[in-house]
This record gives sequence, C-alpha cells and structure tokens, in this order.
Amino acid sequence: MQQFVVLKKENFDAFISSLAQTEKVVAPVSRGYNNFSFQEVVSGKEISLKYIPTILPPKKYFLPTRETLTAYNKRENALNAILEYEKMVIFGVHTCDLAGIQCLNMVFADKPKDINYIIRKNKIAIIGLECNDYCDEYASCCVVENHLPNGGYDLFFTDLGDVFIVHINTLLGEEIVSKAAVFKPADAKTLKLLESLRQMKRSIFKDEVNVKHENLKILFDSAFESKVWEDLHKRCVACGNCTNVCPTCYCFDIIDEPNLDLNTGVRYRNWDSCQNEPFAKVAGNENFRKERSQRQRHRYMRKFKYPVDKYSRYFCTGCGRCSRTCMAKIKLKETINDLAKETK
Amino acid sequence: MGKPKVAFFDFSCCEGCQLQVANFGETLLDILGLIDVVMFREVMSEKSDVYDVAIVEGSITTTHDVERIKKIRATAKVLIAYGSCATIGGINGMKNNFDLEDIKQYVYKHDAKYFETIPTHPLHQIVKVDYFVHGCPVYQPEFVKVLKCALAGLSYVVPDYAVCVECRFNENVCMYDKGISCLGPITRAGCNSWCINNGNICYGCRGMVSNPAKNGQMDILKKHNISLDWVENKMNMYNKPRELDINEQKHKG
Amino acid sequence: MKRIELKESEYIVAPAKILEARMMTAQEKYFKIALEGGVSLDHEPGQFVMVSLLGIGEAPISISSSPTKRSYFELVVRNAGKVTNALHKMEAGDSLGIRGPFGRGFPVQILEGNDLLFVAGGLGVVPLRSLINFVIDNRRDFGKVHILLGCKKPADLLFANEIKEWGKRLDVNFSCTVDKADPDWKGNIGLITSLIPGVNLNPKRTFAIVVGPPIMYKFVLLEILKKEIPEKQIYVSLERHMKCGIGKCGHCQIAQYYCCKDGPVFSYDQIKGNKEAL
Repeated sequence: MQQFVVLKKENFDAFISSLAQTEKVVAPVSRGYNNFSFQEVVSGKEISLKYIPTILPPKKYFLPTRETLTAYNKRENALNAILEYEKMVIFGVHTCDLAGIQCLNMVFADKPKDINYIIRKNKIAIIGLECNDYCDEYASCCVVENHLPNGGYDLFFTDLGDVFIVHINTLLGEEIVSKAAVFKPADAKTLKLLESLRQMKRSIFKDEVNVKHENLKILFDSAFESKVWEDLHKRCVACGNCTNVCPTCYCFDIIDEPNLDLNTGVRYRNWDSCQNEPFAKVAGNENFRKERSQRQRHRYMRKFKYPVDKYSRYFCTGCGRCSRTCMAKIKLKETINDLAKETK
Repeated sequence: MGKPKVAFFDFSCCEGCQLQVANFGETLLDILGLIDVVMFREVMSEKSDVYDVAIVEGSITTTHDVERIKKIRATAKVLIAYGSCATIGGINGMKNNFDLEDIKQYVYKHDAKYFETIPTHPLHQIVKVDYFVHGCPVYQPEFVKVLKCALAGLSYVVPDYAVCVECRFNENVCMYDKGISCLGPITRAGCNSWCINNGNICYGCRGMVSNPAKNGQMDILKKHNISLDWVENKMNMYNKPRELDINEQKHKG
Repeated sequence: MKRIELKESEYIVAPAKILEARMMTAQEKYFKIALEGGVSLDHEPGQFVMVSLLGIGEAPISISSSPTKRSYFELVVRNAGKVTNALHKMEAGDSLGIRGPFGRGFPVQILEGNDLLFVAGGLGVVPLRSLINFVIDNRRDFGKVHILLGCKKPADLLFANEIKEWGKRLDVNFSCTVDKADPDWKGNIGLITSLIPGVNLNPKRTFAIVVGPPIMYKFVLLEILKKEIPEKQIYVSLERHMKCGIGKCGHCQIAQYYCCKDGPVFSYDQIKGNKEAL
C-alpha cells in the first residue's frame, strides 16, 4: 500500500462530488461571523478548507445530541434495544478533533462497552485535515500535543499549496482513494515538502501556557483547593456552552418519551452538562456540586486530571472551543496560567 | 374509564397560545383521540362546567379573575398553566412597573373609573398549578410533552438550565457573535431555542433559571457594552411579576 | 438514518414482577421482587439495580436483601421523584423492569473471619441490611458482629420487626437510637455517634461498615477513627444520582470515581480527603 498520495487542488471538487454521490459527506461549512459547522455537502466548493473549530465538534455524529436507546410497548411489557446510525464520511477533521474522537472511543469502549457508540463509530469514515498554522488565539493544541497528526483517521489531508498530500492510514482510506481515481502517488519532492511543513510547524506551535505538557497533570493534582475556582464562580453563568462544545465531554441524561398513544414510546439519551444546576442533584434534593465554582473545577479536572489517571491521556484537545464560546469569556489558557501562578 | 374531559380557559392574554394548540395540525387529531375537549372558546361554541383538566392561558389582573381562577381550580383535578401570561405573568406584567392608577388613566382615560385593576399575577401566585408550559407562545412539542405527563399522572420538570444549552445543540451561531444581545443565558430552556433557530433573539419569555449568576451576567453585559437598563427593560417585558413570587420553589413544577 | 434492533445492549431491562408491596413508613415502601423466568438477580450485598418503568424512566435503588435469598430480592423505595412516585402506586402482581445489579458491593471476602461494626443512619439501613442479613445467614464465617442503628424518630424505623430479631440474637451486639423519641420509645435517644464510644471492639480485627445520609459520615467516621480502626478497614456506601449505571453518563461522578461503577461502596482510605465524596 502506497502510504502517501497526492491530490491536485483542481481535482478537490471532483473528489468530494464523486464521493458524495455514493456516500453522505459532511464537512466544515461557513456559517458567517467566523462560525463554522460540520454539515452535509455535495461538492468541494461548499467546504471551508480554512476554518476555525466548528461550533460543535464532530462528536455530534458519534454521540448524537439525542439518541434513542430503547423502544417500548407498555401493554406488551416489551422493551427493545435500538440503534440509530448513519453511514458517512467526515471530511476535514482537524487534529484536535481527531484527538477528541480518540478520547470518546476510549470512554465508550471501556467496559461495560457502549454498543451503540461502537457500532456507529465503525460506520463513519474520517478524513483529517492538517492545520498549517494556528486557527486563532484560543487554541492550545501544542501543549496537549495535538497540533500534529497522531492517527485516528482513515485519510489525512495536508495542504501543500497546489496539492494536498494525503496519508492513507487504513484499508477504508485506501478504498476511498482508489475509488476516486484522482489521487497520484506522492513523489519524493512532495514528501520533502510535507517534511519541511512539519518542521516549520514545530517553530510556529509553541506551548501556549506557562506549563509544560508533562506538568499539566501535576498542576491539576494540587489544584483542587485553588482560589482560581472562586474567580470562575463569580464569572460563570452556567450556560453549559463550554461542555456542549467540548469534543471530549460525553455526559448524558436518559429520558423516557411516551408517544401520544401513551402506550408505546422511546427511552433516549440526551447530552447533559455538569455545568447545569440540576446535574448532580439526588432525589432528596441534595446537590453535590451546587456551586458554579465546583462545577467549573469539575469540568477542568475532567480534562486534565481524572482521565489522565484513568486513560493516561489529557481529555483537553486544545481546540479552544470552550474559551471561544464562553459567555463570560472564561479562557482555558488563562485558567491554567492562573493556576500555575498560584503554585509558584 | 372514559377520556378525560379537558377545558381551555383564558384570562388576560392575546389568545395566541390557544392558536398554537388549534394549529397543531395532525397532532391535534392524535390528541383528540386521548381527551374529550368540552370547552375551547377559540375553536368551538359548546360550553361545560364539568371537566377534569383545566388548561389555562392568561394572567390574573382583576379581582374578578381571582374569583374565576379559584373556581376553575376547585373544579379541575389537574390545572395546567400555559403561556407566559399564565406561568410568569408575561407581557401583562409590564403593568407592574407603573402606578396602577396612572396606568388606568393612561389606558382608559376618563372611563378609568369604570375599571378596577390589580397587579398582574401568574396563576401560581393565586392557585396551585400542577403543570407549567412556559413560552410566548407555547412551544408546541413542549405542550404535547406536558399534556402526556398530565394524562399519565407524571410530573413534568421544566428544565432549569439556560436556553444556550439547547441553542448549542441546534448549533446556532451565537447572537453575541453577531453583535446582538440575547437573553438566552439567563432564560430557562425547554423551547428548543425556537426563536434563535429562526433568526430572532431570546426575549426571556420562559422566565429566568432558578439560580441566575448575577455577577457573571453583569460582567457579560459590560464586556458587550450593554447597559443594565436595557437588559432590565428587556427582562421586565416578560418577567416583572417574578418579584411577587414569594414562593419561587412552586415554580419549578 | 437507519434504525435497527440490537440483541445486546446495556440498556435492555430484565422483566420482573412485584411479589409483595407494602408501606413501611409514611415515605418508604417495601417491595419484594422476582425476575421473570425464575432467574436469580445474583447480586453482591451493597449493589444496586436500576428500576425501569416504561414511559416514566429509571431510578437507582439499593438492594436491601441478602443474596442468600435467591428466588427474590427486596427494595425499599422513598417517594422522592418521578419514578419512585410511580413505584409507590404499584402493588403485588405489577410488572417492572430491572437493569443490573450494578456497582461494587461490600467486600464480603475481605470481611470474612473478621469482627464487624455496622453503623446505619436513616435510610442507610436499606443497603446495609443486604450485608447484615448475609452475615447473619453465614454467621459462623464472621467474628463478632456489632450493629448500631439510628434514625430521626421511632416512626422512621425501617424493618422494625426484623431489627427486633437482630436485637434478640445472642451472636449480635445490637443498639438502636433515635434523635427524637415518642412516649412509647424505650431505647436510646441521641445521635448515632453517641453509640460508638461504648462499643467494645478490637480495632485490629474489626471492619466498620457505615451507611447513612451525607451529613452523617463526617461525624460517625470521626468516632470510628477514634476507635483506632485502620482506614483500610472502614467502608462506606455513597449515594449519587446514577442514570446509566455503567460509568458513562457522568451524573454520579465523585471526583475521579464513577459512583455507579467504582462504588457505591468505597473504603475510607480510598476517599479520605476527597472533598467531593465526604
């Protein structure tokens, strides 16, 4: 298998159009006001190749905002497990979001496995797209080491000016390439260009916070009692934006919805957020994370401490969405720097 | 057991919520398979004093209203308040910003002496309300959801988180990114960010979340160069009677 | 969008039938339940199940019976939410669904051969009873057994008749207290913490198992630590709102732990200093 192939820019539209004839293709599309979202496309022209992270990450395809888990019939006292899925190709996934999908994969494959997620994931082909430069000032992909590709894709596109160089990572990726018949083997010169781009990226992408990658976890190990959370408490309005746009937040609620016959219905899961007031409330009305400071702390711990203990991996992908979307302009990089300042 | 008898009532309101129900389309047929509508001024001429479920629109603005809603409560086994006027006072609550005599004069001029008026109250400030369907007008899917709960004898909990949550689910471009201020961050969800999905801002018609972060909100306003007066006015458009809410707990349904 | 039926899923429920149901107090109802088809629940003491009512939802409920009773299991349900409210309206013969058992129960193997100090406050007796009865059913396998119970008032006492039997046993050291007595009450009055100093125990070979409302733990644990029972030998069971039961949905998370999967039973040394736990 040829590992690297080349797609001329002029053939990009033809590639997407032909792919879209047999597959559902979703890709980043401009929504105006410097907002983007993954949407279904039928041609390459619709796609924004230069985009800042979309409003929602591609997790919406892996873990839909609302997903039916079971369908029931009361009269027959029957409950059947349901899976809803859609075969698709996601084009243009940045390395931060590839990392996000990898994190979700770990969580849902952790025993007991979430079979709905696992099956759905396997129906989705992923085509990554490299960021040659920072998207904006909110990103912190370098400190979590997500500015360079680390797998998690079938194909990976890198823009080299007139051409895309494409890394074929899986058999599925190879199928897409050979079916499209517009890809050519990459020559040594193009490979060299890719090499020098990566070299250049190493000089562009620098740790975005005053803490080294390996020390982030140590910082959060002792951050529980920090005053920084109190500051966030004063600013946070608990709108839940930060967790909903996070590529690695996966909390959900399970809700029953009867049909109008009041006999049949479905049980579905819906995205939920630890930032929402009732999230940690128990039946007796005790709320185990009543304060917004506790909830913000929990969010950060779920990125920089708890999963590191469990999966040896930061669950912050550095995409910057939480900072970009925050109503109160709580910025992740700032929070980390404030925590670091405190420990000095 | 026969189908439950359901009566629709209205107090001070625009009857727009009734219109929402009347406009259900095919869903209405399914609903009518479950209930027996015995009174619904906007769609039928029959009347009845016998009913199990009262679905009430509008706010309480006169002493006559007070008596009437108490009577309805005494008859109905279940009382559903629907629409902002009924659930939070709504637009009618703007009256509470002014001196009642002044406002009467302003509206009725020299006929003012023939009218009596009291501060605007949402229903729950006068009688016990079993279900709340917020919104101006009500969001049809939520109305159906609540009706199903009522018929099944289950409680319905109004989401106690911001409209932003659902707005994110719908992947709308944030109004603040467009340079427009929006009451989404302090207004409780449940409407599936209906207005924003359609290019409008959130006017706060569903009432505030139970624990709005005051300081944080002020901060946001400052950052976006929005005056507090502006927000207060915007918020008071629907939420003025909140001040009369002695027992905010009841509101959570 | 394709929609298919799955043969396997963590969200499938096992059909079950209520064999017996009765009110225990003004707020708590007792249920004796059997899975359909004579299937045994096969749980460990301290585990919980998700009770599923179609069209209403699911609620996590502690299993109150000992696994030594194989043909049925028992739940005690406080009327506190949508599902539990509907459960309270159900009677013998009614059907419901069960998922589970879930979570880490009490470490029976570790407890075997040792002395046990049970401390239960309020509803805490419900999950603890699964272990107490297991121990009583296998009494010879354990050392000394101390049971301390506490609740607000005599009318709140759950399993009153059964508890009386525990009190009568010669092989169990039993005390019970209420915060506020009524004229008929002949037992202790005062907080449960007041019972602990009087227990005569050997801390080296005693395991303490504490279950109660959140507020209780701090004070009870303080008293138990005064008895010099090692931290590793103290177990608690924590209450959080489980929704999925399989360590995914996040609702029950206590710092790094998912209460539904890593708990609800934790050893004290596991959660000591964990501000979200105690």
